[in-house]
Amino acid sequence: MDFHFSEDSLLLASSVRDYLTDTHGVEVLRRLDADGAQDDAIWQGLVDMGLTALLIPEADGGLGRSLPEAALIAVECGRACVAEPLVDVAFVSVPYLLAKGDGASLGAYATGAVRAPLAHRINPYAIGTSGIAMQSVDPLRTLHAPTADTSDDPHLLNLGALMAGAQLVGVAEAMLHQAVEYAKVRQQFGQPIGAFQAIKHQLANCAVAIEFARPVLWRAASALADGLASAPVHVSHAKLAAGDAAILTAETAHQVHGAMGYTYEVDLHFWMKRAWAVQGYWGSRAFHYNRVEYAILGGSHPIGADASFA
Amino acid sequence: MRLHFTAEQEAFRAEVRAWMARHVPKEPLITLECQWGFQQHVAWEKTLASGNWGMVTWPKTYGGRALDLIQWLIFEEEYFAAGGPNRANQNGIFLLGPTIMEFGSDEQKARFLPPMAAGEVIWAQAWSEPGAGSDMAAIRSTAIRDGDHYVINGQKTWSSRAAFADWGFGIFRTDPDSSRHKGLSFVLFDLNTPGITRRPIRQLHGETGFAELFFDDVRVPVENCLAGEGQGWNVAMATAGFERGLMLRSPGRFQATAKRLVDLYRQHQDAASPAAREAVVSAWMRAQAYCYNTYMVAAKIMAGGKIGAEASLNKIFWSELDRDMHRTAMQLLGAYAELKKFDDGSVNQWLEGYIFAHSGPIYAGSNEVQRNITAERLLGLPRVGAG
Repeated sequence: MDFHFSEDSLLLASSVRDYLTDTHGVEVLRRLDADGAQDDAIWQGLVDMGLTALLIPEADGGLGRSLPEAALIAVECGRACVAEPLVDVAFVSVPYLLAKGDGASLGAYATGAVRAPLAHRINPYAIGTSGIAMQSVDPLRTLHAPTADTSDDPHLLNLGALMAGAQLVGVAEAMLHQAVEYAKVRQQFGQPIGAFQAIKHQLANCAVAIEFARPVLWRAASALADGLASAPVHVSHAKLAAGDAAILTAETAHQVHGAMGYTYEVDLHFWMKRAWAVQGYWGSRAFHYNRVEYAILGGSHPIGADASFA
Repeated sequence: MRLHFTAEQEAFRAEVRAWMARHVPKEPLITLECQWGFQQHVAWEKTLASGNWGMVTWPKTYGGRALDLIQWLIFEEEYFAAGGPNRANQNGIFLLGPTIMEFGSDEQKARFLPPMAAGEVIWAQAWSEPGAGSDMAAIRSTAIRDGDHYVINGQKTWSSRAAFADWGFGIFRTDPDSSRHKGLSFVLFDLNTPGITRRPIRQLHGETGFAELFFDDVRVPVENCLAGEGQGWNVAMATAGFERGLMLRSPGRFQATAKRLVDLYRQHQDAASPAAREAVVSAWMRAQAYCYNTYMVAAKIMAGGKIGAEASLNKIFWSELDRDMHRTAMQLLGAYAELKKFDDGSVNQWLEGYIFAHSGPIYAGSNEVQRNITAERLLGLPRVGAG
């Protein structure tokens, strides 16, 4: 039992974070919003970092990293509000194909030649560029009605839901950070609004929600990587905890920004809209709640003090 | 990241499980907040000590088993899964014991730790005063040096276990001209010393677990001061850190409650609202989240890290989870919720638990203070007004 990421894993995640901070700041989001969200140079940058081959075994030319590490990087993609479909391609489609033993198509994913993730029936609209374009509230999502075959494989769904949850945690952390920075500088009644307990306590609630969503995510990633029969329960738990933390933080961060939050001018809206979009992607709240309820109240999943890692 | 137990850890779990199955009382003990219940709980402490299960994380020298934090978590899981009673010795095991180990002299360790481990001396804490609750630096009780003694005068309140315990510990102002965090010292005292008056406070449930303490020229030897005069605030903060941090509330307790709540739901599901059903499922999810988080903190500490202000997040999370779970149980029980005992004579543990759960968001630093700490120290928001 060793519930923590190695120094090496954390270093990898922080290098991705640094790269995205340098190359994918809010000025980039604004440019993508104006010019179209797909950007070959950004995609190529992610490919050059090796991220599309992150989960491909070293023997096959990949980085041979684990699913929990991929989740750690998906958090960073959420934090940077990445527009490219990296997470759905490299951390959902690739591990799915690996699990299926579908080696033939993996090469094209590893090199970044394939930029369209596998579609699943749970999502009526898929990320990608083929099919009829649909407009998302999130200006940086390229959403289309799928034309190719859609899968109904639960393993693909679980990977998708896990990584959606990871992105939501990153999105929530970014929004909390923005709200805190705003509350430090915005002055009213002769002091920064962040000095008022009414603001502090709301932001503290967001910190609590995020703090206790994160470990659920790692538990789910680990369960899925280990192929546990209970993995779907943990994935749904993670998606619920992450989604709830993200929506709470979006609403709170918006409130803290006051009227400025209602403008297109303030950065916050990109992350709020990502949270709104991703919370129902790869399974609605009700879908995931029902899966947990069925397992817990139905008795198929062991519970209690002596069943911590069932 | 490896989220399964080793064969050695599973063997240890089996050992704890077997011992608990043989020794945990079949009938729940009555509340430790009354004289007879307290005696039952002290007897249980001695039973635990007889199997060397009293202070499992302590070094062997002081009567412990030197368990690492993962073994401790396994112990706690099995303890609560077996329905183990609340710990009369809580203050000693998790608060004072570690504090003495960190700050005490060799003489103090030898004198105080073994009887604590054996369950022979039960400790009460004496932090709060009528004017110093959440704002502990406002302490006014004094301990003035007179030769080789301190002379203590003043009043402490909400002193948990003090109605029935043997010894107490708290912070006192040893420099009468000091203010706030300075000039305070951490002092241990025999609750039967002349000049101490205990006035038990009747609690919400009608019993008297905690007490007010009045000090009237109470003479305490100077060797009962921990870590030296004037160090009280630092020692108290370290103690509060142990308390709020990992060990005050281990996850097994809440996982056990969540499981009992699921059982209760099954008995009452025909009359349960969808909201109550979701609250039951949510109880399991939150208890599990708390468990995972605790294992992460344990791994961090075992790798040489420390817990700081994150402890405040923990305290907010478990105390509100506990209250929510018991509220849900009360709603499921409906008209039966108010009964102190059910038709079959069994105690309504949900009602007792619901009453007790109201103290969680208040003691060990109210959740408002924890939210301020979170906002200021973790998020970096500005401090205003606090000294």
